Amino acid sequence: MKKFMKKLIFSLLLLIFSGSVFASAPIAQIQAMLDKSPILCGNFNQTKTLIGISKPLLSNGTFCVNAKTGVVWKTLHPFPNTVKLTRDDITQIQGNQTVMQLSAQQEPVVKMINSVLFSLLAGDFSQLDKTFILNGNIKNNTWHVSLVARDKALAKVIGNITLDGNTHVNKVMIHESNGDQTLITFSDIKNHA
Amino acid sequence: MRKCFALIWLFIIILLLAYNIDLIKNKRMTFNTNILSLLPADQQDPVIQTATDHMFNAVSQQVAVLIGAPNWADASRAADAYLAVIKTHPDLIQTTQYSNADLTAFDKYRLGLLTLNQEELLKNQPASYWTNIALGSLYSPVIGLKLGTWQDDPFGLFSGWLQARAQETPVRPRDGKLFVAGKKNNYAVILMTLQKPAFSMSTQKTVMPLLNQAEQAAQSSDPNIKIISTGVILHAAAASNEAHKEMSTIAVGSLLGILLLMWLAFRSFKPLLLIGLSISVGCLGAFSICEYLLGELHVLTLVFGASLIGIAQDYAIYYLCSAHQELKKLWPGLILTLTAALVGYTGLALTPFPGLQQMALFSGLGLIFAWLTVILWFPIFVTPNTIKVTNLAKKFDNSLSRWPLFRFNKKGLLIILLFFIFISVGLFKLTVSDDIRSLQNPSPHLVHDQIKFSQLLNAPTLVQFYLVRGDSEQMVLQREEALKLQLKTGYQAISDWVPSIQRQETNQLLIKQKLLFNHGPLDSLAQHIGENSTWSQKVKNNLLKSSTLLTPELFFNMPASQPLKFLWLGKINNTYASIVAVRGLNHVTHTDVTLQGVQWVDKISAISSVLGHYRKYMGHVILGAYGAILILLFTRYRFKAWRVLMPPALASLSTLAIFGFLGIPLELFHVLALMLILGLGVDYGIFLQEQSRLPNNQAWLTIGLSAISALLSFGLLGLSQTPPLHAFGLTMFLGLILVGLIAPIFRNTNGY
Repeated sequence: MKKFMKKLIFSLLLLIFSGSVFASAPIAQIQAMLDKSPILCGNFNQTKTLIGISKPLLSNGTFCVNAKTGVVWKTLHPFPNTVKLTRDDITQIQGNQTVMQLSAQQEPVVKMINSVLFSLLAGDFSQLDKTFILNGNIKNNTWHVSLVARDKALAKVIGNITLDGNTHVNKVMIHESNGDQTLITFSDIKNHA
Repeated sequence: MRKCFALIWLFIIILLLAYNIDLIKNKRMTFNTNILSLLPADQQDPVIQTATDHMFNAVSQQVAVLIGAPNWADASRAADAYLAVIKTHPDLIQTTQYSNADLTAFDKYRLGLLTLNQEELLKNQPASYWTNIALGSLYSPVIGLKLGTWQDDPFGLFSGWLQARAQETPVRPRDGKLFVAGKKNNYAVILMTLQKPAFSMSTQKTVMPLLNQAEQAAQSSDPNIKIISTGVILHAAAASNEAHKEMSTIAVGSLLGILLLMWLAFRSFKPLLLIGLSISVGCLGAFSICEYLLGELHVLTLVFGASLIGIAQDYAIYYLCSAHQELKKLWPGLILTLTAALVGYTGLALTPFPGLQQMALFSGLGLIFAWLTVILWFPIFVTPNTIKVTNLAKKFDNSLSRWPLFRFNKKGLLIILLFFIFISVGLFKLTVSDDIRSLQNPSPHLVHDQIKFSQLLNAPTLVQFYLVRGDSEQMVLQREEALKLQLKTGYQAISDWVPSIQRQETNQLLIKQKLLFNHGPLDSLAQHIGENSTWSQKVKNNLLKSSTLLTPELFFNMPASQPLKFLWLGKINNTYASIVAVRGLNHVTHTDVTLQGVQWVDKISAISSVLGHYRKYMGHVILGAYGAILILLFTRYRFKAWRVLMPPALASLSTLAIFGFLGIPLELFHVLALMLILGLGVDYGIFLQEQSRLPNNQAWLTIGLSAISALLSFGLLGLSQTPPLHAFGLTMFLGLILVGLIAPIFRNTNGY
């Protein structure tokens, strides 16, 4: 249950990246390429390869990022599961049952991460640059960025993250330090300006 | 002969002076400012005493500072500036380094570690619930922060337990610092430990400027930074500062007032110098001997020393006003006044309050030294020709004959009746208060910071807690667990980290029965993700491996136990004990919990009840002192002895009645003042009684001078911001006026 919290915080970070842009030289250019609509929605496909589990785990669903109200991450297959993020809390709903709700009051990291998220959506990139070392390059209208946490303890847990995209983030790849891998691809992204 | 004694006395005084100079030179003069040390050691229950001492010691050396800014980077930079200053003095303050608590140490115990909530869910939720939980975590966007692989904790029980442990404090590591989030600001948390005793004034004198300097450094890095400082030393330093200021105000004020008064009475500097000399010697002797015997004096003892001036001068004033008499004839009065005062102080010394004993010793010694100075030195300096009272003073003394006199006639009895009604109604209205908190007057700024700090850090209170006892460590843990079931939330306990062996075994059984049985949640999980029974058997075996039982000993060897050690008292005498700390005030009524081996300890109310106990006890001491002094006086005045005691007795009763009418609740320190009213009142009664044997001894002048100067010094105590001194001073103010006005009413109607 609360295990999700940590995962969600992490996924939050990913959503931040998928929905936004980065500072520093090539990063600044990538930032310029990205769609800056306040509301972005689309579909996702996720493939997880875990150590000790022979088959990759496939799932898909929809997502929406709203600069004002937060993020909704809705898994539709293989079973319904919704995660909602606002500035001050995280809610997980399985079926119609809320299986987890965590407020910033209970877990201060929620607020910290959420504040990073919202400051990014608002166009304040100084925070992200402080948490991660960003490296990016651009080829033929598509770009690639890799992120490594500046904090060594955090980097050890998160491992390496890469993002690929053009006007939107198209692909997120996470290599965890224990060998687990997660690939998320986005499609059909629409902005609701 | 007389000169020989005077010389010996001079030699002793020089020795004492040398001792004090040595003290100052070697900086060995230390003062105690801890009000709690004025209370008797609670000998009724050594375990409670150990527990409260333990809690107190755990915090008294700590200083915590929060440095906040809306932007974490700004707060972090200001914290660095603060720390840079602090680190220049590692001999005074050590900063607590944040060490990443290694939670993997719990790995091999994980099967026995469940939160209460997890236990509930395991007992009540169907197998499908757990399968869904596991699948949810498996398909959730990312597997993030966790220990080991997904299979090590498929149902998220261990990470849930760790999360619950982490949530005991909102403080989180961030960029090598500790961090806590407020509503507007992000705060860097700086934890420091003093290397020298917080209650020592020399520590305060060196540490406070360092803290201020560090604060300024943080401010200069960002002027909008918010700094919240807490620590026992801040309160102690503020209190000693206040006491220092007051002490000098009282000393200077009372000295100036007395000087003016004496000048009006004698128009000469010599009496002033003589009175000053006797008082100085009294203070010097009292301080030196107390310092030598006790090692460390309480600052309140010193403030009481200032009040000593008022009494010690009685001897000098009596001698000076009667300088035209032979010393021989003054002896009875002088000996009686000193003896009566010492009898009164003996009562104080008999109380179990270490502070009161100190004060009794200090005051008693001061009186003896001042008295000896009068006896041994005054005859050398004072001859009938050198000291003469002014005409103004003579006029005042003669006014005694116009003062009303109490007689047992109709009018006298009517006055008794009216007075009786006044006293009865007043005493009926009188309430009492023994709240320890009313004895301290911390600055609003410090209180505000303290509250803000507690809110931000969700810190448990340290003066109220549950004390859990048992014959063994395991029994203590089991009793904690029983207690926690009743409390539900808002507590902090060691058994959250180390469940009892019994509980760990039931937890393991619960996991086996609910999750790991054949065709249970784990097996259906395997099916969902396309794995076979070999896979689930492997996962099962892996989980069952982590079933080592955790004991307190093992736990306290882990670095993660460091911040929780204060909760574990371990073995005290033949029992084991621990503390279950509580947070906030919105809590169940603690006294309602009745469990074997569990006790609600409220230090504030415990101390308050001790104060109340001794307020009553002091009352008895005073009654006893009246009795003892009456016997003493009877040896000289026979059936006129009551006349000596009437003024202080009536003044005290009237003061109490006035408090009743004004709605001022009676506290220990009011009662204490009544003791001094007795001492001074008896002096005045004695002077008046002696007059009938020794005409022209100018008793009324002596009383007037003494009462007014005592009023000056004690009146200033009434202006004190320290609540106990204020209470004391106010009582003295009323009592002295009354005793001065009442004393002549009971003078003898006919002389010898």
